[in-house]
Amino acid sequence: MTAAVHALNRVGIRPRLRRRELGLLIIVSVALTVGWISYVSFRDGRLELADTAILTTYLVALFVIHGLFVISGRRMDEILFPTAAMLAGISLLMMQRLPQDLVTQNVAGNELGLGQLQLFWIVLGFSLLTAIALLVRSDGWLRRYKYTWAAAGIFLLLLVFIFGDVTGGARLTLRIGPVSGQPSELLKVILVVFLAGYLAENRRALSESSTRVGPIRLPPLPYLLPMLAMLGIALAIVIIQSDLGAALLYFLVFLGLLYVATRRISYVVLGMGLFLLGSFVLYELVPRVQERIDIWLNPWADAQGAGYQIIRGLYAYGRGGILGTGIGAGLPQVGSIPSIPAIHTDFIFAGISEELGMLGALALLGLYLVIAERGFRIAAFAVDDFRSLLATGLTLVIVVQAAIIAGGNLRVVPLTGITLPLVSYGGSSLLVNGAVIGLLLALSDRGVEPPVPGVPRGVRQRLGRRARALGGRVESALS
Amino acid sequence: MTENNSGFVPEQPDSRPLDATRSRLDPRRLRVHLRVRPRLDARGQTPHLSPVSANRPPRIAGSLLRLSIALALVYGTLGGGLLYWQVMQAHSLTTDAANPIVLAAARDAPRGTIYASNGDVLAENAAGNQRQRQYPYEVAAPVVGYNSTIFGTAGLEKSYDAQLTGLGSLNGADDLLRKFQALAYNPSDLHTSLDISLQESASELLGDQHGAVVAIEPATGRVLALVSSPTYDPNKVVDPRQGRSYVASLQSNTDSPLLNRATQGLYVPGSVFKIVTATAGLSSGSITPDTTYADQPGEIQTGFLVDGFRIHDFPRKVQTDHPLDFYEATEVSDNIWFAHAGLATGPMNLLQWASAYGFGQRIPFELPTSPSQVTDGGGSFGGFQDRVELANAAYGQAEVLVTPLQMALVAATIANHGLEMQPKLVDYLQASDGTVTQMPSKPLTQVCDASVASVIGQAMQQAVEGQYGKAFAGAAKVPGVPTAGKSGTAQLGGNAAPHSWFIGYAPADNPKIAIAVIVEGGGAGSQRAVPLAGQLMSEYLAENP
Repeated sequence: MTAAVHALNRVGIRPRLRRRELGLLIIVSVALTVGWISYVSFRDGRLELADTAILTTYLVALFVIHGLFVISGRRMDEILFPTAAMLAGISLLMMQRLPQDLVTQNVAGNELGLGQLQLFWIVLGFSLLTAIALLVRSDGWLRRYKYTWAAAGIFLLLLVFIFGDVTGGARLTLRIGPVSGQPSELLKVILVVFLAGYLAENRRALSESSTRVGPIRLPPLPYLLPMLAMLGIALAIVIIQSDLGAALLYFLVFLGLLYVATRRISYVVLGMGLFLLGSFVLYELVPRVQERIDIWLNPWADAQGAGYQIIRGLYAYGRGGILGTGIGAGLPQVGSIPSIPAIHTDFIFAGISEELGMLGALALLGLYLVIAERGFRIAAFAVDDFRSLLATGLTLVIVVQAAIIAGGNLRVVPLTGITLPLVSYGGSSLLVNGAVIGLLLALSDRGVEPPVPGVPRGVRQRLGRRARALGGRVESALS
Repeated sequence: MTENNSGFVPEQPDSRPLDATRSRLDPRRLRVHLRVRPRLDARGQTPHLSPVSANRPPRIAGSLLRLSIALALVYGTLGGGLLYWQVMQAHSLTTDAANPIVLAAARDAPRGTIYASNGDVLAENAAGNQRQRQYPYEVAAPVVGYNSTIFGTAGLEKSYDAQLTGLGSLNGADDLLRKFQALAYNPSDLHTSLDISLQESASELLGDQHGAVVAIEPATGRVLALVSSPTYDPNKVVDPRQGRSYVASLQSNTDSPLLNRATQGLYVPGSVFKIVTATAGLSSGSITPDTTYADQPGEIQTGFLVDGFRIHDFPRKVQTDHPLDFYEATEVSDNIWFAHAGLATGPMNLLQWASAYGFGQRIPFELPTSPSQVTDGGGSFGGFQDRVELANAAYGQAEVLVTPLQMALVAATIANHGLEMQPKLVDYLQASDGTVTQMPSKPLTQVCDASVASVIGQAMQQAVEGQYGKAFAGAAKVPGVPTAGKSGTAQLGGNAAPHSWFIGYAPADNPKIAIAVIVEGGGAGSQRAVPLAGQLMSEYLAENP
């Protein structure tokens, strides 16, 4: 053991035990195994643990990732990863429990069902998480080229706008060859990067007040304009694509970041005012918005049509009660028809609330609050404003998105289609949210220690210099 | 503004000498970990460099704290949403007719059976077709209702739908425990208090005439018979071949066979309401059993003039030459005496004690009920329009409207020493796993003192058995058993034949059955309702001595 450690030390890697993470991962494993036993026992009518291939694969992946974290020796947060692992584990259990033919894909002659596909995406997402957590040691590539990133993101959205496929009444999916994805998921991260970069640079000016409009004090408008323009373009495109959930998310994250950077409540009030005004205009102009608000106010007015999904979701809550029916004992399908449309994506929260009950759903919400606590802690301890704001934005992206869709499921706010981060089925969502957690982990390493000597730097530095030179030219042209 | 482009490690060393030493034991390093609110300002900047540094932007950590509070509120709201739907609304959502689990239960689980008190089946699943119900006793339709795949449910089939399908029990803890059992549905059988032979007799005696009969066990509130005439054949309603046309014909029928007259029919009560007036008058002390009105004998000829309106009594064979007391006035059903008594009692007292009986509210019951009323309300005279309305209401005319169920409860309350029991149809539920849930009797209201009830009971016995009372209500007498009651003839105005009413109970000294009978357009109380009630009470007491 010590020999191995010495060997690692010689190549510049100093392993660092992560006892808290290990302990939490063991708890996660036990909880998921108990859940699996509960599900399989209910399905087969006797106490047993069967069909464990998916569960085992997942748990092994978790501990492999933990091992990599240990070997890397980075001083990263030890709670974020187990929390994400629990969320994704619940997701895996639910996807295995739902009718497998909800989503199928033929991969190399094998017909893969919902559970297997979700496992694939989770492992892929967590691989991305690990890669980012371990390899990202510099944030220059994020902070320096914020305009480039923003332009790339909007370009991506434009591609969807022109070439995208329509799913569920919204133009969301971009298909390139066999690969398809939903770029609005990626854009949320790009937007956060841009906002963090811009606000870190200009937050002093923004938090001062120089312009007065009646009782409202405004900052110098030129400082607000680039940000508003970027947000406006993104919002306009997603609204045209009827991706209302994403639009709401962008807007709330924008307001949250603006507040954190300036601590000026007048921005929030003004933003909410604009939001209400915008909602009113959209209600009048866009039939889809009108429909969403109408079914929110009274889903029973069209119980067999527009309100069908939300009413079916409410039935699931009622059936679940306090303790839930137990995994596998709910009624997500009648015959072969899912009882709630989109139960594996937009309505997974209702499905979980049915089978794990109010207590289970509260615990699930609690996991997002843990992410919020860790993310904000990382932000508070970050070494400069950019990283603080970046960590805040990345955290908000996850917890606000979870609140939007859970609130929509619960009829607390109008329903807008968006995934429950790390839980809903879907490749784009899992990859992007995995990347977000990975970035938060990388940011949590405060880099107290200097880069380990002995890492080959020559090639990397040369490549880096060339990339920066190219990026710099693009960036200056854009800004 | 200096910017830190190179990586996570700041190129400029932190202004504090934090990184100068790297010892794990350095107390300054420990301080970093213990610090709750790090100072994030001025980092990466040289404080003395900029003149605006006095105007630093706010610290991000402070903003984060406020953002956290906002976020906690948002998540708290979500938790509130969960609480609302999963606890507060859970039962109504789970038993909603459109809920797929209700449909699934109807398909997967056999529905429970409904029994009469003697064990006869009132509703069961048809042999060979679990989804269709059959109803051996058509006369029980106002109680049992129907369960149709097309028209939904009515009657007990509706109010106990969740228990019959086994989706919910009356005990929340059972629902929790069921999660640990293999059987997802646990349908219950209903065992009712309905005496099916009494129900059949009442229906036969009403014959083609419209009306209603309600019989109650006074001490418990158990409903023994609940007849509404005309009624419908639930077997035809649930028959998929002829259901639609049959229901259409019922709906267009002007005799309203779908209306449950016993619980929802509103009738002018006439003299049977005098029992309510007497309760209010005696309880409030406005009258006593010995109260007489000196003008009353004379007014039999001239009428009783109240604010320009003359109240008359019916011309009757039995006349007296002295002022009547309460017993005599009840025995001969003297409207003028009760008009006086009503005015003496006053609007507030009359409404208060009527409300104690259940007037003005829906009586809590397993079938839908309509509220009975003493007045339309809104008038300036304590809710009445004027003294004339109050005087007329005191003997059951004016705007008084009652359900037969309400009047049966009035009789049962007097029989039960002034304590009104909540009416109920189901004695107990037996779940398919053998669990028995008793439905206990519940006292509803202590309407009046036992002494008041005893005085009224004595007057009611006199009204059936007394020298003069016999002429009105003697036919209600159960042979060999002391019987109490009050007949009524509800005037409807114009040339319409009056409703024939009777309420009463027997045996008067140990009441086992209280009854209310109304025959629409049946003429004077003595013509139809009184003998009908007498025969039903005789039959019941012969079977249940």
